[in-house]
Amino acid sequence: MISRRRFLTTSTIAGASALALDRAPAFAQKRELTLLSFNHFVPASDDELRRQAEAFGKQAGVIVRVDTIAGPQLPAKRAAEVSSQSGHDIVVNTAADPFLFEQQLVDVGDVVDYLGGRYGGWYPFAKETCHTASGWKSVPWFWVAFLGSYNEVQFKKAGLQAPKTWDDLLKAGKVLKKQGNPIGIAVSQCTDANITFWTVLWCAGGKVLEADGKTSAINSDKTAAVIEWYKELYKDAMDPEVLSWDNASNNRFLLSGKGSWIHNPISPYVSAVEKKMPIADEINHHNSPGGPGGIHCATGVNSIGIWKFSKNAPLAKDFIKFLFQKENYHAFIQHGSGFNMPPVKAFAEHPIWAGHPKYAMIPKEAEYVHEQGWPAKPNAAVQLILVNYVLPNMVAKAIAGMPTKRALAWGEDQVKLALQGKLETKGK
Amino acid sequence: MAIGTRVLEGVSARPSRLARVRELWEREAVFGYGLIVPALALIVGLVAYPFGMAIYFSLSDYWVGSPGSFIGLQNFRDILGNEIFRQTVYNSFVFTGIAVVLKAVLGIWLAMLLFRPFRFKRLIRGAVLLPWVIPTALSVLAWKWMFDSLYSVVNWTAIHSGLINPPGPNWLGMADYAMTAVIAVNVWRGLPFFAIIVLAGLVSIPREYYEAAEVDGAGSWSRFRHVTLPLLKPVLAVVILFSTIFTFSDFNIVQVLTSGGPVNTTHLFATLAYQVGLTGGNLGQGASISLFLFPLLALIVFVQLRYIRKE
Repeated sequence: MISRRRFLTTSTIAGASALALDRAPAFAQKRELTLLSFNHFVPASDDELRRQAEAFGKQAGVIVRVDTIAGPQLPAKRAAEVSSQSGHDIVVNTAADPFLFEQQLVDVGDVVDYLGGRYGGWYPFAKETCHTASGWKSVPWFWVAFLGSYNEVQFKKAGLQAPKTWDDLLKAGKVLKKQGNPIGIAVSQCTDANITFWTVLWCAGGKVLEADGKTSAINSDKTAAVIEWYKELYKDAMDPEVLSWDNASNNRFLLSGKGSWIHNPISPYVSAVEKKMPIADEINHHNSPGGPGGIHCATGVNSIGIWKFSKNAPLAKDFIKFLFQKENYHAFIQHGSGFNMPPVKAFAEHPIWAGHPKYAMIPKEAEYVHEQGWPAKPNAAVQLILVNYVLPNMVAKAIAGMPTKRALAWGEDQVKLALQGKLETKGK
Repeated sequence: MAIGTRVLEGVSARPSRLARVRELWEREAVFGYGLIVPALALIVGLVAYPFGMAIYFSLSDYWVGSPGSFIGLQNFRDILGNEIFRQTVYNSFVFTGIAVVLKAVLGIWLAMLLFRPFRFKRLIRGAVLLPWVIPTALSVLAWKWMFDSLYSVVNWTAIHSGLINPPGPNWLGMADYAMTAVIAVNVWRGLPFFAIIVLAGLVSIPREYYEAAEVDGAGSWSRFRHVTLPLLKPVLAVVILFSTIFTFSDFNIVQVLTSGGPVNTTHLFATLAYQVGLTGGNLGQGASISLFLFPLLALIVFVQLRYIRKE
């Protein structure tokens, strides 16, 4: 409200001076609020975001521009905006960004408190991903659930149930591969490979970093056991193609009818339904498996931050609150085909999940998820471990024949290298 | 009209100054530098400044979002101590060595073929350039699909023509195959550049030399060995120089096809620098990775340019 009033005042002054000068000054044009995001995998979700931006613009008397670019280009774009101290007002952050840009982002604690109080509170991962040593630097926006996506018909044919633990999966995978339907977990340089490794390691009770974010914890029997598990899985339950996968490969693997199980969001099912592929009827989902260390699953949390160089911070905060208004967030979930998982508890009962037998279990995932890096906060070291694909590469080395101990030593070496350098201002 | 009068007024008011400026401008030294200024500004703004910044970054612990302080050669020590970087150095030399040799041999061969008279010569010469003209990101996506683990058309064709046993090589999942794949795509893309420049060199060789050689009884191999090759040398030297630099600094092909995988076995300087510097946020180390090759490339350029000048 304040911002709108301020806008009115400034525009009146601008209008008056425009009259005095007898020419149209640039200032009298509508104020513009800009947001930078990535191309959503469901284009309709971006369309809905743009519609909401326009609605907010009309309400606030400003223009809201939503720019989306390819996800992999976003880090370079963010870096460029920070270096030049100009660009968009609002930026969508993922993984360690709120920590990497801790000094560059506006404190949004007030927005987080307001939304949390209004919409049933935040899930624990919200704080893990956006609360830095200097406060909330980004507002958790939506996250993506990694589930067991499996071919129910092939499982039934083999007399198998959906796996509850990663060991169940190994046992099931051995049977399924013999049946001609291997399972698939990427062991390659792609983000899905990272997500699944963290998940399996946590469920085994292991971790890569201590909670302080500065100490390596990867060298443990638990990690060694996970590497052994991967080796066995690769040999007896998977095909060599998992070594070359990108993020889309496992979707194709499941949709081709060859693959029986993947660790993935609901995207294969969604695209099968969209394209009216008969295999859609065979695909079902179950919660990400657990293990002796409990049920945990890695995720990517997308959050919204405001650059300090933005001149529209109060307006940007209003816009973020607007996006979380019940009808808006509900529409956002709806148009995102159920991908956009809410970080606040009140929206978890959306009918898109509750009313769909293949989706009903999805909101429960919120209790299991952590951002990669956990129990450490996703600091600069975590970012390097992720982008260098240290964890899947460690597994790939072991699969290629390197003794588990040496592969683990290589992984530990890489983790320690990532921990060198500037961590003092980050990740506390 | 109004402007015209104003200019005229100005001229009539201060005729001598304008004349002096004009006179100064027409002096060769001033005029020459005047013409160079725009280009110079572009080079300083778009080449020299970023280059200077890159050197500064490489000597500092500059992270995305937090300015760095001077740390000397620490970044270079760090990257040399990292196995991923050493692997990348090895990859880059293997990739560039094999790709440039293949492009040179095949390029000369292709140029000689294109040099012969044949039907639709112009059309085909134009078509040869296509791989070089299509945006790399697009064409490499097609290649990625051809090397796909599940739907590889390369494997499908080879299996169905009985050349290999199913399931065929896992192109992008095994180190040697992946390197073969990125080299193949690089050669496919860089070949036209080589061929067309060599073709231009061929066209400029006077026919008389060949006629004289033929009179002396030289066969086709002798003509190639003793006439074509020596006269092509300067052109070849330049094109090999360019190609070496382009190949060393290749980015798109590896980024799209393998992202440096499997297990970093196809990473090149540019892709690793991007990964560490931009997606990883460690700009200082990213800059030092991309600058690592600079002294070596500068040496290659120096030696080759000297050689060309001598020739």
